[in-house]
Amino acid sequence: MTLKEVAEILDAEVLTGHEKLEEIEVEQVAAADMMSDVLAFSQPRILLITGLNTPQVPRTVSIVDGVGAVIVRKHMVPQTTIDLAKALGIPLLHSKFSMFEACGRLYIRGLKPVESLS
Amino acid sequence: MAEDFITGLKQIIEHLKVKDIMSQDPQTLTPEKTLWHAKEIMRLRKISGVPIVDEGGKLIGIVSIEDIIIALEGGYIRDPIKEHMTRNVVYLQPHDNVETAMEYFERYGFGRFPVLDREKKLVGVVTKEDILRGILKWFSTVYTHDERRNNVLESDYYYRSLITGEPLDKKGADFAFEIDYTDVNLAGVGAAKLKSFLTEKGLPSDTVRRISIATYEAETNVVIHSGSCGVIYCFLSDSSVKVRVEDYGKGIEDVELAMQEGYSTAPDHVRELGFGAGMGLANMKRFSDKMMIVSEVGKGVIVEMLFYFERSGDSGNPKGNQNP
Repeated sequence: MTLKEVAEILDAEVLTGHEKLEEIEVEQVAAADMMSDVLAFSQPRILLITGLNTPQVPRTVSIVDGVGAVIVRKHMVPQTTIDLAKALGIPLLHSKFSMFEACGRLYIRGLKPVESLS
Repeated sequence: MAEDFITGLKQIIEHLKVKDIMSQDPQTLTPEKTLWHAKEIMRLRKISGVPIVDEGGKLIGIVSIEDIIIALEGGYIRDPIKEHMTRNVVYLQPHDNVETAMEYFERYGFGRFPVLDREKKLVGVVTKEDILRGILKWFSTVYTHDERRNNVLESDYYYRSLITGEPLDKKGADFAFEIDYTDVNLAGVGAAKLKSFLTEKGLPSDTVRRISIATYEAETNVVIHSGSCGVIYCFLSDSSVKVRVEDYGKGIEDVELAMQEGYSTAPDHVRELGFGAGMGLANMKRFSDKMMIVSEVGKGVIVEMLFYFERSGDSGNPKGNQNP
């Protein structure tokens, strides 16, 4: 599935990375609010779903070699977070769905969990 | 070997101050009390001397066991202390080295020395036992998960590698970054810079990932916990990368406890940022091949991590082993 499809499924606003949404393939997803969990258990090339909206989100995705992040549940995403995502080249999506619903919608469309957590 | 040990011990003692090892809030008496009171306190608390202070807490004398024995022999144990106490008291100051204290014990042969601040107020008492306890406590603040512990104790750890014991030329580090602890949103900036640096150097991406994750955790710890500035150093060699993160802050009280997954002292506002899950040190250990941490409460933390790599065929998982 491409990130563009992810954005459609989650009815998400694309905050950064418009230009590469169609190129980026997503297979595995990790959902967490604790960035240390993401650091501990993630695989390269994951898509992160999180309820956080701080600059730590794009930074963590960049550090673990993830493909992008979907911020759920929050009303807004601070400009500092968006700016950092842009600078790091991390696609950032913003969905109004809850974490549960976002995960559920992606799961039934065939996206997989991180192996170590399954 | 024994000589190395003694050299190591000496280096510890050089750093230890009297204020670090003294017993605070010592039992005192005022000069109006009797020698009998002093004797009872010594007997009950199993101590060999009682400092005598005026109403303002200033030291004006001391009563030792010797004074008591002589008083018993002379039959004046019920006399007020002020008539018989030793007024010319040898004392130590909080910032004296423990080495000085040891010299005093040898020179004067007393069992205890009062510790006075600049206004001559009594702030503590030092016995030989306090010195021993202080040294033992210092040992217990040094922790590592392998046998390299001794190398640290026997070297000047600020200027040597914790892991290999080699002298460190910090100015010659291949990468250095000063951590800004004042803005929690900046946590991870150093790790991100290190990541680009290592990628530019052509290291395998999986190695770069491991190093970045572990450094991110170390850097976040400095920002969240230390309350002080810190530095990330990175040293490259053909087959390994050494990352050293130092801060000068609060230190870790119980490193062994802090190493446990899930243990955290982070405040709520830090958790809201996605950190403080108690994974930091555990993650550093997980992603590094060797890790060593030295901390002393009030003086900071030094974390050193070693990452081995091969120019090709590096495994992606932590340490190339199974998933956690």
